[in-house]
Amino acid sequence: MSMNESAVPMDGCMVRIEGLRKSFGDLEVLRDVNLDVAPGEVVTIIGASGSGKSTLLRCINLLETPDAGHVWFEGSDLTADHVDVNGLREDIGMVFQGFNLFNNMDVLDNCTLAPVTLKKMGKAEAEAVALAHLESVGLADFAHAAPATLSGGQKQRVAIARALCMNPKIMLFDEPTSALDPQIVGEVLEVMRGLARDGMTMVVVTHEMEFARTVSDRVVFMDRGVIAEQGEPEQMFTEPAHPRTRAFLARYLRS
Amino acid sequence: MDSTRSGMGGALARMAAFARSEHRYVLLGTSAVAAAGMALSSRPRPALSFMAHAYGVEVVMYYALAAWVALSAVALAFKLARWRTYAKTSPFTRPAAVRALRYGSYAVCAMTLVLAIDRIAMGLASAWRVAVTADTRPEPMLESMLFMLYDSRAIFFEGFKTTVALAVFGTVIAFFLALLLVFLRIQVVDRADNDFVRFWKVAGAGFAKAYSTVVRGTPMMVQAMIIFFGVFSLFKLTSLTTTQVNGIWSTFAAGLVTIVLNSTAYMMEVLRGGIESVDAGQMEAARSLGLSQWQAMRKVVFPQGVKFAIPGLSNELVINIKDSSVLSVIGTFDLMFATTTVGGMYYRQFEAALLTSVIYLCLTMCASWLLGRFAARLDVRPVKLGSTSDQPVNVEEN
Repeated sequence: MSMNESAVPMDGCMVRIEGLRKSFGDLEVLRDVNLDVAPGEVVTIIGASGSGKSTLLRCINLLETPDAGHVWFEGSDLTADHVDVNGLREDIGMVFQGFNLFNNMDVLDNCTLAPVTLKKMGKAEAEAVALAHLESVGLADFAHAAPATLSGGQKQRVAIARALCMNPKIMLFDEPTSALDPQIVGEVLEVMRGLARDGMTMVVVTHEMEFARTVSDRVVFMDRGVIAEQGEPEQMFTEPAHPRTRAFLARYLRS
Repeated sequence: MDSTRSGMGGALARMAAFARSEHRYVLLGTSAVAAAGMALSSRPRPALSFMAHAYGVEVVMYYALAAWVALSAVALAFKLARWRTYAKTSPFTRPAAVRALRYGSYAVCAMTLVLAIDRIAMGLASAWRVAVTADTRPEPMLESMLFMLYDSRAIFFEGFKTTVALAVFGTVIAFFLALLLVFLRIQVVDRADNDFVRFWKVAGAGFAKAYSTVVRGTPMMVQAMIIFFGVFSLFKLTSLTTTQVNGIWSTFAAGLVTIVLNSTAYMMEVLRGGIESVDAGQMEAARSLGLSQWQAMRKVVFPQGVKFAIPGLSNELVINIKDSSVLSVIGTFDLMFATTTVGGMYYRQFEAALLTSVIYLCLTMCASWLLGRFAARLDVRPVKLGSTSDQPVNVEEN
């Protein structure tokens, strides 16, 4: 089945996911997932471990190749055969649970590598952009520090700045605070709140329910490879319709 | 703090700290040193012995050492007699006695050192003087070996030069070839690749794998023969005479090619191991920014992988120093070939082999030390592996 770009019904969506399936061996991780993300929208994906949240996120920039289904990003089908995946990834920023800062470079080089290599930006210009983004995450003083010398929260903020340096249209966050001590989770969430305020389109996989409730425009609850329920945060956190959502959120509903 | 310091300075500092501190078993340890000194003193004096001119001093030293051993025996008797109350009742455990024993132990070590220099170092020097001045090979073992070394020094030196040249050039050339080849070895087909790129990636990886399997799976000695005689036959297909071919395709050239071929295969695998030990997240992060497989490999993964591989790579020089010895099978005039030549000249293969083993050992130890310094210099900023859980957590009390 071939669909040319003009025929894709995007309906003003930035990302449209249709009939997505993914298995690892016999384990079916995603079973027919459909999801739209509008420009400027902040979508949080919640759900139990193993429900397929991270795999869904990683399918959006094709770090995982889906077995079936489509992922459209701004009218281009990422799952088509000869699509320029590298070019599309430039517009899709990603932040990982394990930070994944390049250990062989200092903080500034981490941020300038991709702009200099891909956007043919001059070194000086790229560094100016990088310093501005580091400033916005509060780490301009650490421009020449080695990643290994930073704390977890600082590393994750650098990772966010690194992704922002490519001036992405959407940011994917894969459990960005799960590897952090509880007391430094806040500094990373604060940066993400700022991004959301500035109108960045974001898809966030998280276990931070408070963040999901207060920052996101829409909460998606995933259960065993499908989207069980989605809706406005207030509705999801006060009167979820699906019994499994209610069970998952029981702890937060009471408070 | 001291444990982070390494090298010569750190070792000296640790030794000094060991000597300065009080030890519970100082008598147990130094009585053995004293006994060794007495044993050395009982050995016949070599011709160049300086203690021969101070006979009285040596007698005093001998009896001082004997007294120390006797003192240790008394302390041992005390210990055996008062096993449980020794620490409280023994005169040897009083602070003043402990300090005196420590100073005594310095004297014992110094006397043994003087005796060791007199008997061992001066013994070697005497044997060397005999070997250098002798016209025919003297019978005693040490003199005989040193005579062979001195008499055939030109042959040994020639072999030594060849071995060093083979190992150094072989390792350096192989390193660069391995860098190129490992790129073929680790290629994985990316979904963005077209059929042309896919074909070459698969073919390249297959070639590198086959090369490594064949080279690592056959003895180097056999490879040396195949390369030397095989290429020789190819040259003979031309109109060149045997003498001309020998001028171009020398045993040294064939030996170097063999070493390069071998080392490339092993270094490629070491590099591959280093690259594969780089966390997969590094590649993912680079790809998520839009970098291609090749760009991510070249700028992020490869530099880190090479750094991980440095210890294994530098090991290869030491291996080449030793393994080049099999090249004597095709007549490469290396240290091993020199050894069998010299051994044949005097009908003394054992002594020749013993001599060469000392030379090889010195060479490999020097190479290890130099490479260690080199690696320490490259590793200016060692990457500390750790996660956020390693960060200190300050628990606030309220």
